[in-house]
Amino acid sequence: MRVEFILNGRKVAVDVEPSETLLNTLRFKLRVKSVKRGCERGECGSCTILLDGQPVTSCMLLTLQVEGREVTTVEGLEKDDLFKKLVDYFIEEGAIQCGFCTPGILLTAWAGLKQGRFKSVDDVREYVANLCRCTGYVKIINAIYKAATGVAGR
Amino acid sequence: MDAWDKALGRAMFTEDYYVDYLLANALFIKQVLSPMPHARIKKIDASRALSISGVHGVFTASSIPGENQVGYAIPDQPLIAEGKVRYAGELVALVAASDFDKAIRGAEEVVVDYEPLPALLDPLEAMERRDVLVHEERGSNIAFQTRVRKGNVEEGFSKAHVVVENEYRLHHQEHAYLETEAALAIPESEGRVTVIGALQYPHLGQKIVSRVLGVPMSKVKIVAPYIGGGFGGKDDEGPLTCAKAALVAYLTGRPAFILYSREDSIRVHPKREAAVIRYKSGVDAGGKLTAIEVTIIHDTGAYANRGPFILWRATMHASGPYEVPNAKVDGYAVYTNKVYQGSFRGFGNLSIQFAVERQMDLLAEKLGLDPVEFRLRNILREGSYTLTSQLLDHSVGVGEALKRVAEKADWWRKRREIEEFNKSSERFKRGIGVAVAWHGISTSRAVPDWSNAYVKVELDGSVTVYTGIVEMGQGSPTSSHVQIVSEILGVPVDKVKVVFATTEAPDSGATHASRGTGIGGLGVLVAAAKIRERLASLAGRVLGVDPGELEFKDGRVYSRRDPSKSISWRDLVREAYARGVEVSATGYYYLPKGRFDESTGQGFAYPAYSYIVLVTEVEVDTRTGLVRVLRVYPGLASGKIINPKQVEGQIEGAIAQAIGYTLMEYLYFDEYGRVLNANFTDYVIPTPKDIPEIEKPVYVEDKFRHGAFGAKGVGEMALIPGPASIANAVAHALGVNITSTPLTPWRLLEYIKRSPRG
Repeated sequence: MRVEFILNGRKVAVDVEPSETLLNTLRFKLRVKSVKRGCERGECGSCTILLDGQPVTSCMLLTLQVEGREVTTVEGLEKDDLFKKLVDYFIEEGAIQCGFCTPGILLTAWAGLKQGRFKSVDDVREYVANLCRCTGYVKIINAIYKAATGVAGR
Repeated sequence: MDAWDKALGRAMFTEDYYVDYLLANALFIKQVLSPMPHARIKKIDASRALSISGVHGVFTASSIPGENQVGYAIPDQPLIAEGKVRYAGELVALVAASDFDKAIRGAEEVVVDYEPLPALLDPLEAMERRDVLVHEERGSNIAFQTRVRKGNVEEGFSKAHVVVENEYRLHHQEHAYLETEAALAIPESEGRVTVIGALQYPHLGQKIVSRVLGVPMSKVKIVAPYIGGGFGGKDDEGPLTCAKAALVAYLTGRPAFILYSREDSIRVHPKREAAVIRYKSGVDAGGKLTAIEVTIIHDTGAYANRGPFILWRATMHASGPYEVPNAKVDGYAVYTNKVYQGSFRGFGNLSIQFAVERQMDLLAEKLGLDPVEFRLRNILREGSYTLTSQLLDHSVGVGEALKRVAEKADWWRKRREIEEFNKSSERFKRGIGVAVAWHGISTSRAVPDWSNAYVKVELDGSVTVYTGIVEMGQGSPTSSHVQIVSEILGVPVDKVKVVFATTEAPDSGATHASRGTGIGGLGVLVAAAKIRERLASLAGRVLGVDPGELEFKDGRVYSRRDPSKSISWRDLVREAYARGVEVSATGYYYLPKGRFDESTGQGFAYPAYSYIVLVTEVEVDTRTGLVRVLRVYPGLASGKIINPKQVEGQIEGAIAQAIGYTLMEYLYFDEYGRVLNANFTDYVIPTPKDIPEIEKPVYVEDKFRHGAFGAKGVGEMALIPGPASIANAVAHALGVNITSTPLTPWRLLEYIKRSPRG
């Protein structure tokens, strides 16, 4: 079946199986490698994408469901100033260890920043529910809070 | 240095190579796993699977051209089950197909006829049974034993004023790295094979692939790309993952890719060992330990794997970082029909330190001493003898670390305040607990350990480093090794490139045991120092100064006495190439070790120990049983801190894993030994909301003479006393004796019911 949607600002058309997840379409057919396969049941957030601006896990979506919609991955945000600032804070804080969860967390955080959701550190903890097994989250939370407020989390 | 690549998803993980290069041509592999804990394999019928279009092959034990033997410490383990299966989740066959879905369908159609055998799930029962054996050829379910005999324990206990005795039970832990196991094998001409795989020790992968295929090691090349978390799990399973892919590639002549589903990952790969520990300790009226008597029983599961090494480490750390004059320790690694145990950050030490540190709190309480004060009376210092009677002649900063962390946490005042708070608070109880741990650097006993790397200076002055150390988030090769070279040769960090995790480099040892930076970096340091020496002698001649007065800094080489006598690094390198001075070198460092007597467990255990202190504050909701960790104060005595931000990251990550282990993570086994919660919905790991305030660490830089710049090791440290510090805080909050993990709400409610105040 043919599906058309907007990927990072460009229209794409792909042939997919009815049961195909957006995660597999993105990785295997469109070769978007920033979208990582972690648990395949919507728990870990490694495969997070933005669907019309909202963070969702692409393993829990059938590609058919995104017909006509807008899908954004970190590849589409490379030139975005807020995104660049966010990554700079991640690097400055040391919030990236193995890097597997990082693109998904950045997308979630970027969406939260855009929507002005982070008034406190607890807001960040509440909204960014992606899993990371390396960092213990401290530096991730601080980096996002810094990007939101310009000050360190503690 | 690679953060941008990681941020943008450009850093290549194993599955990314599959996407980039081989999608159309490669075979995808799905594993057929045993649903039975213990059974004879009567027949494997692959005909229906093979009739599916797109299925290219089904491979079983009989397909293996080399040796079907991958046992790490004991030759007891096949790559693919042969004759019988020993745990639910054991690999029985590999199905290779043209895509994901066909491989999964193929795997479902492989029919295995099993004849069930009685299954042993409890290690205490398995120890006693002779009629049912997990490994018949071994004659017993006890896979391995260890012992320590020091002094005279009877005499020691006779001098004791207070004796405390308990049985502790610690549970399994799943690594839950976000990237599951993966490997891509590419067959090449002349029977060679290249494997790109997620593993922590490329040279071990090379050895195992070579054995399974029956080809020389020189024909096997292994590269680990970026690894999405390891924590020990990919030290054990990584080489086997590579061997599975290599086998299919070798037999089909096609690139072959294996990717574990999350469920397969949790069912198949080894776990942190579950342990039963019986611990008796005595202390005299002056508050000095007189004797310990300890029995350690590890639920080893179906295969010994690294069990003997894990058990040795537990055994030799059984005293904790304290002076104990008399000791009797017996360790047993026991086979059961469950997923087997393996490496996990802390390597046998977490469970024994839990027992030690619970004992220390209970002894202090009986003596009426403060827990910190009691520990300080017994703490190891320079000149102390360890449990194995090894003299600690340097690098013992644990006492100072404990004092400084207690001061920073305002321990004495806070403990009193919390006790006051609890008198008036009914539902919520608070507690503060301390736990200290030690962790031997390098391999245990006289097991050889070395560091090795290759460094070359390019014509333009940039530097390339080759090492087998891998990058799995800890940053040893991409950050510490770069820093080491930059410091020694005075070249800017952006001119240093580390080619890591490859068998093209000399065997650098594994990236485990907190050795990536401290020991792994030594080879890099030695190689860089050799090159510096040669170039210093050349620069001395060129500048007409004594090489000893030369400084290598910021891309220049100059005389300290007369900085005008100077040459740029780039020009010096050009001179070296022109005048025939060699600018490449291998750096090799063999760690000096001593004698160890296995019959008494006495002698040289480790070249040095890293030490850690954690003070933890908790709040317990006595109505729901929920424990919240409020704040953690870490303190580290692990030699030179090379990169503080990286060290903080290791400490914070380890504390999160300790919180997960103690309060939420638990593997449920059914009556067939099957893991019931092999997914992230039911195996719960911490989220950002579970993380407490983690204070900046206290560092005592007790430099180690055989570590790069005096570094010992950091990676594993904060996880080791984490569960004990939480349990001690919970025990303080509730006034109960905590002897088991996990402290999940339902377990906590049981403790509260039994509590004198409850």
